[in-house]
Amino acid sequence: MRTSDTTLPLFWLVICFLSACAPVQPWERGNLAKPQMALDPYPLQSALRAHNYGSREAAAGGNAAQGGGCGCY
Amino acid sequence: MVAVRLRRAVMRRKEAGVAVIKRKTKKSYKCKESLVKTFGDQRKCLWHKLSVNGNLLGSAALSPFVASLSNHLFPSGYERTQQPKRGIGKPDCTSLHALTAAAIILPGLFQPAAQAADDEVDFQYSHYQEGRRNIYNTEGLKGLSPIEVDSIHGGAKIKLTDRIKFAFNYTQDTWGGATPITTAPFAAIGNHISKSGASPFFEEPVRFDAKLNPLVRGLSGALIKNSQLVHTLSTASPETRKQGDFKLGYEWDEAELDIGGGISVENDYESHFGNINGRWDFNNKQTSVNLGLSYTNSDTAAIPDHDARSYSSATAYFDQIERVETADGNLIKTILHGNRQDWSTTLGLTQIVNKDALLELGISYTRSTGFLENPYKYVTVFFIEPEKAPDSLGNVTAKTRAFLEQRPDERNQFTWNVGYKQFVESLDAALHVDYHFFHDDWGINAHTFEADWVQPVGNDWTFTPRIRYYSQEAADFYQPFYFSFNEFDERDGFANLKFLPAAHFSSDQRLSGYGTLSGGVTVSKQFAKGISLDTGFEYYTHQGGLKLGGGGEGEYADFDYWVANAALKVNLSALGQSLNSMGNDPSHHAAHSGNAPAGVMFAHTLDKAGDMMIGYRYMYNNQAGDMLHGDKPVNDPLVYNNACFSGGGSGRLNQCFTTPTEMTMHMHMLDLMYAPTDWLTLMLMPQFVDMDMSMRASRTSRDVNIGNAGGHIDHHISSGHNVGGVGDTGMYGLFKLFDNPNHHANLGLGVSAPTGDVGIQLRRNHKLDGGLIHYGMQLGSGTWDFKPSLTYTGQMERWSWGTQLSGTKRLEGRNKSGFALGDLFQATAWGGYGLTPWLSATVRGVYTWQGRIKGQYSRDKIDFNNPSENCPKESFQSDDGEGNIFFDEESFNACIQDVEIQNQALINEQDVVHRSNPADFPGNYGGRYVDVGLGLSATVPSGSLAGNKLSFEWLQPVYTDVNGYQLDRDGALSFTWSYGF
Repeated sequence: MRTSDTTLPLFWLVICFLSACAPVQPWERGNLAKPQMALDPYPLQSALRAHNYGSREAAAGGNAAQGGGCGCY
Repeated sequence: MVAVRLRRAVMRRKEAGVAVIKRKTKKSYKCKESLVKTFGDQRKCLWHKLSVNGNLLGSAALSPFVASLSNHLFPSGYERTQQPKRGIGKPDCTSLHALTAAAIILPGLFQPAAQAADDEVDFQYSHYQEGRRNIYNTEGLKGLSPIEVDSIHGGAKIKLTDRIKFAFNYTQDTWGGATPITTAPFAAIGNHISKSGASPFFEEPVRFDAKLNPLVRGLSGALIKNSQLVHTLSTASPETRKQGDFKLGYEWDEAELDIGGGISVENDYESHFGNINGRWDFNNKQTSVNLGLSYTNSDTAAIPDHDARSYSSATAYFDQIERVETADGNLIKTILHGNRQDWSTTLGLTQIVNKDALLELGISYTRSTGFLENPYKYVTVFFIEPEKAPDSLGNVTAKTRAFLEQRPDERNQFTWNVGYKQFVESLDAALHVDYHFFHDDWGINAHTFEADWVQPVGNDWTFTPRIRYYSQEAADFYQPFYFSFNEFDERDGFANLKFLPAAHFSSDQRLSGYGTLSGGVTVSKQFAKGISLDTGFEYYTHQGGLKLGGGGEGEYADFDYWVANAALKVNLSALGQSLNSMGNDPSHHAAHSGNAPAGVMFAHTLDKAGDMMIGYRYMYNNQAGDMLHGDKPVNDPLVYNNACFSGGGSGRLNQCFTTPTEMTMHMHMLDLMYAPTDWLTLMLMPQFVDMDMSMRASRTSRDVNIGNAGGHIDHHISSGHNVGGVGDTGMYGLFKLFDNPNHHANLGLGVSAPTGDVGIQLRRNHKLDGGLIHYGMQLGSGTWDFKPSLTYTGQMERWSWGTQLSGTKRLEGRNKSGFALGDLFQATAWGGYGLTPWLSATVRGVYTWQGRIKGQYSRDKIDFNNPSENCPKESFQSDDGEGNIFFDEESFNACIQDVEIQNQALINEQDVVHRSNPADFPGNYGGRYVDVGLGLSATVPSGSLAGNKLSFEWLQPVYTDVNGYQLDRDGALSFTWSYGF
């Protein structure tokens, strides 16, 4: 995998910078596993809100190609 | 230490009256010696195995792991016979003690399995309500009610195999209301829709002073500077959008690949989309990278605003406009066609920062090409002729025209985002903060800041307040209105394109500079048995003054909205477990309810106290074909002359200018059942309805020209009528009369609450209110209704049968719109045969009687001409010069009579618009019907979806005898899904 050979170190660089390189062992991830720490705790509602914002704002975000219709109103 | 904690945990569980875990598998779960050495101790080894095989990163990835682990540790029934799943079954290093010990030191893993739904069904309803916009000069004008949107969503996620997931979603929105279509200075007096003769948008001419400030005539008659801008609003009758999409995913130990696609359809817009997303986990799953690509292809087929068409120009799109005409050359409609394509790619990274924090980074690029305009937004241009000298005060007069906006055919958009999630140990809460920066080559830069606080508060309640701020700059080509210093040459056609002020122009408020602030709260409750309910509310305000750095659009463009939503999620995996654990056979429920066809409600009661059932019911009904009078088809002239009769003493005969050609209804119902005692089952049935109707001019009416209708009926009905939203809500109690293994009977008593709207109006046309839409197109009955039923079901070996009497009695004589639907009585009987243990077929006969509508729509208030004002007595008096006053009674009476004739003409005109279709008359509702139903019913016999029941039934009309004049029936389809637990 040539690409991952080159991209991976780049990611690490960014990550080390931001996380001070503190490894978090799997058994230390209990808090991260809680539902309140989910990347999106309410995905249904998020989709709805994104649809409303998308039909009212110019910056629809990075998911223009997920359907959603004209939103012409 | 660990051992002590474990013992305590076990004790607590014992005290709580639950059995302690017993494993039936004899497999020994331990790490190999060599591995234990590598990791230091048994516990760490075990965790390494688990976390690598399960996913420890990202919610989507994380939850299956948590689920599988907690299921294995504490399955809801505390006794599992299933083989361990992937990631746990295979490794040679698992032991119950080590697992439990490891789990206990990680309290986060004791989440209910619902967080990790492998198999989940969800439903969501939401209501969007915009606030009234300030349109200054036309406050309170009827027909400009703000935009409302009702949406429903239903979806399911199913795990096909350990590694393959499938998800599908259905979403439907119905919206209607007034929205800005262009902007002009106050001086142009837009929105004067009710003014006769003039353009609905502008009053000509508009004067400007030497500095191009718009001028309005003050009370004294003098011209005063007034720079106020005003949106011109246009109302749309309700329209519905439907979207279906799916996602198919494959999971590896450290990666996932999803492909998805879907379609979104509305009257004037159809889009197809596909996407592919990959996720790779690295670094012991501390890091995860996402890469996605998506493509959308959308076709516009816009029918321009009927009233706007004659006053605005879309000539720039001449090649894209299709003219639809009748055989005799009457223009029915023009359709503006356009196609756009969007390619989008995203790259994201999720990183575990420390044991309490996650970081997300992302970048995305979207390229859009083709017809990027909003086909309903116009730009107002004032043409100031260069040759024409200003008047003595230095003022100039401008001609006003509106042009369809013209945007570039290409747009490149970039978004960068960063998100941070911090767990707050002391409060057991999480803070989520996000920032997005957006940039595109139309000159728009936008910032979004968002923060959520997710706070569990005990008893499985979670409160999540949130706040969001958004700010954007205007697009380069945005302006609220334009000047052109060219002569406007009418002879060159409306759009003298070379004289337009710019190549690209738009006055769409979404491309202006402004800021928005919104905030809300989500309240979530996790119920037992894997059901959770999330409700949310959000308030949003859009203001020019909120723009970052100032300089936003004026106050005239400000608006606000609120959204409320409720989502119900059902985790089938968790339900299945509780079912298994209770020693219940999932097929038992199925067998119990398996004998009633899909179209029969109230046939099934729950078994015993504490039981619950959740179901979804879909009903489709179509009317098409001939117009019937009684049970005989009738031709157009008969319908035209006889079908539009108001009935009763004051009834009067209209002509039916239009006749329906098709009417379709879709009804989505949620079916929630709960048994508080063995003999009573409570039912709650919220529903969502959408209907559409198409019609044509009756053949006779083309030659008639009455009022504003007649000659050009065709284009008024070209797009049909469309409604949708929340219907009435049913609340019932089913009482068991007797219940033995082969025979069951129940009595149902309940009411239907009038939650469906019965005041839906059509949009204004030709300065006349559209009036209330046909009775049958309102979303509910508008009255409280009593709905009793009596049901008997029986079964013997492979055979099953049943019969039911049911009815609807309106408890009120009229609803707020002035009518009450007819009462209803239905008798039905069926027989079923089990083709296989999981599949049965049913045959059913149904007789239905429904009464005609009582009362009628209250007539809209008409601004009648007042006889005493129009015919002042003084004007009919004369003086003979000698002090004798004569009163010309004959002329006075003639005047009064004229006014009455005019008033009658107003009523007639309203009736032509509001009551020109048989469906507008109460006497044309109800009838006697016989149908035959054929149904199939299947129950999933085993696997994780065991106990889910699906049924279909088609009802074929065999005899129809209608009251008055009505469209023939095509048939009805029922589909139900249900799951008892």
